[in-house]
Amino acid sequence: MALETFKASESLTLGVELELQLLNAYDLDLSSSASDLLELLGRSPFPGMVTPEMTQSMIEVATSVHTRHGPLLSQLRNIRDTLVTACDRLNIEIAGGGTHPFQRWFEQRIFQRPRFQQLSGLYGYLAKQFTVFGQHVHVGCASADEALYLLHALNRYVPHFIALSASSPYSQGVDTLFDSARLNSVFAFPLSGRAPFTLSWSEFSEVYFTKMESTGVVESMKDFYWDIRPKPEFGTIELRVCDTPLTVERAAGLACYLQALCRHLLQRTEPLPEDDDYLVYTYNRFQACRFGLDGTMVNPKTREQISIREDILHTLRVLQPHAQALDSLAAMDEIERAAGHSGNHATWLRERFAESGTVQGVVRAAADLLRV
Amino acid sequence: MPLPAELSYLLQTIAWPLVLLLAWVLADFLHAHWHIPRVSSYVAIGMFAGAVDLPGLTDDITGLPFVANVALALVLFELGYRINLRWFRNNPWVLVAGVAESVLTFAAVFGVISWLVPDMRLHVHLAVAALAMASSPAGVLRVVHETRSSGQVTERVMHLTAINCLLSVLVLQLVTGSRTLRVSGDWMQAVFASLHVLGTSLVVGMLLGFVVPKLLKGRLAAAPDGATVVFALSVLLLTTAAYGLKLSPLLAALTFGVVARERRVHLTNAQRNFGTAGDLLGVFLFVYVASVLEWRDVLPGLQLGVVLVLVRMSSKVLVNLTLAQVSGITPFKGAMTGLALTPMSAFVVLLVSQTGAVGFDLAEQTLAAITGMVLVLELLGPLVTQRALMAAREAQVTQEA
Repeated sequence: MALETFKASESLTLGVELELQLLNAYDLDLSSSASDLLELLGRSPFPGMVTPEMTQSMIEVATSVHTRHGPLLSQLRNIRDTLVTACDRLNIEIAGGGTHPFQRWFEQRIFQRPRFQQLSGLYGYLAKQFTVFGQHVHVGCASADEALYLLHALNRYVPHFIALSASSPYSQGVDTLFDSARLNSVFAFPLSGRAPFTLSWSEFSEVYFTKMESTGVVESMKDFYWDIRPKPEFGTIELRVCDTPLTVERAAGLACYLQALCRHLLQRTEPLPEDDDYLVYTYNRFQACRFGLDGTMVNPKTREQISIREDILHTLRVLQPHAQALDSLAAMDEIERAAGHSGNHATWLRERFAESGTVQGVVRAAADLLRV
Repeated sequence: MPLPAELSYLLQTIAWPLVLLLAWVLADFLHAHWHIPRVSSYVAIGMFAGAVDLPGLTDDITGLPFVANVALALVLFELGYRINLRWFRNNPWVLVAGVAESVLTFAAVFGVISWLVPDMRLHVHLAVAALAMASSPAGVLRVVHETRSSGQVTERVMHLTAINCLLSVLVLQLVTGSRTLRVSGDWMQAVFASLHVLGTSLVVGMLLGFVVPKLLKGRLAAAPDGATVVFALSVLLLTTAAYGLKLSPLLAALTFGVVARERRVHLTNAQRNFGTAGDLLGVFLFVYVASVLEWRDVLPGLQLGVVLVLVRMSSKVLVNLTLAQVSGITPFKGAMTGLALTPMSAFVVLLVSQTGAVGFDLAEQTLAAITGMVLVLELLGPLVTQRALMAAREAQVTQEA
């Protein structure tokens, strides 16, 4: 079966997906409660979409298509409020964060669905270690070639999103010293990483995808776990490197930062992306995962080293007119706060650990922060 | 043929450790091969040991009831620790379900036993009905741990068990209080005795719940396992104090757990069940409680027991099924919640023996009347809970890698 045709959509439209953790209220370990929660949510209309994920302790929500920060944020808040109310009725806590700080992966139950069971059979412990929680942002593209252009033009900005969203410093009960330990789990999958370099959709779908398909390794785009992947049936590209932030405000901020960035890139004032840009890609990505905003990245064009924080603050200035045009200045403020003095959520979680001295205290604080 | 004196002495000395070891090995074997809940096997061995009346097993060793009370107090502390009072505010239907299933069980059991055994004294009828409300916290918790289950049935079984145990203690106290009144005619004594037991137990539990977290403040990060030791020792202290003051150690331990949780002391999940010490005391608790059941009461009480079991199960299932939808779960999960509440054992037996310690013949008659029911429910209750959790798909299906 060939790759389906790219369904064009309106440029710069946004959709946000969040994977959230379900916790039991007494010791804040992950709780296998997705089916109970979905059953209760199914009784009344949900302000968005809600679906089960791989494990019973995870739930995924998605917004509808948006063009502006205000409506996007208000829908995310509605979703959050509806979830919190339902969870309260069932004595479940719900929280953001890229990993659960102390869950033991072998205790996670894989959701009872054929695809999940099949993945679990294929990937073994990787499937359970994949109990990590990400934010995915879709950006609408007017054409398939525009999608590939954006996908590759964004390569140099991927560390920004990793560092800004990072909220998974703890894993299996210890501080990993990474700001985003979650991405380490994602990298373990054979088809993770970056998309092959081509700016032509016909080459991508007729040559690359057809070859891959003939190897029997993949059946659809779903089998690729790339950092950014095209989604032909939506007519979007999907950024997948973000940890789920601890608040919906940060989630909306990240989405609109991406939107403004895409608007800037579509003006094509920057040099075209090329395959050599990826020489520094994995190094930059590692720096962002490990050190967050304090990491150092190499600009693939100029080959100069710059702190990720500085690069974000600089980019924010460049994006100012785009944010104005897109009505998303509030989102830029949110991003500036994170990049500037208050730091990302990994920093926030480490501060909570210093206060409470326990990883349970960290989860408690994360669950409380989502409600605010 | 009487045993030679030396052999009898030897048996007497090693009877307990031997029986406990046997119980553990058998339970492990049956669990591995047929997924029989371990506690059912412990109970079976205890009953067997009680039936053959091994020398040195029951009355000869003083202090065993105390150890059993400590073991159960630890369980009740843990149950209390799992109770989220805020849930009752967020979803009052859970509280309603807990009270309703207790009240209906009380009424139904009282009605049936009054009708079937009219020649029994009213106070015994009332006491049996009060005891029938309570699910076994130890049985339920052990099965939940063993299956590592989580979900709505699990959550609700915990909370409803805490409610029905609490109500059972209260009503039983009222029954013994009114009995004091009948015997002595002294209002003051009756009222004071009841208030003392209930009120002081609550206060002792609350006091510890406030003080212990303060003691631990700042120490948790340095020694997370230390917290478990401190809590276990506090429960020991509380049980001892309750014995001295003739209070209810069970009520005090439950209160201690609830308050400690509200103070947000975080015990890590590695310490669930108080680890190895908790396992050890658990084996003892189930074997001991089963071994004190009098076999001469079993056969005449068995028929009544089976009837009461059915009445009790039906009322618990009926209420939870009826309130399932409105409380936010499917009718199926509601029914499973009702079934999972089936176990009844240690809590009830120890509760009755404490009533006996206060000095009434009521205890002996009541224990005789419920022996049949307890026998059935001790043995089969955990199995019902386990199957209910499995049917609700809340038990872990994956094996540890």
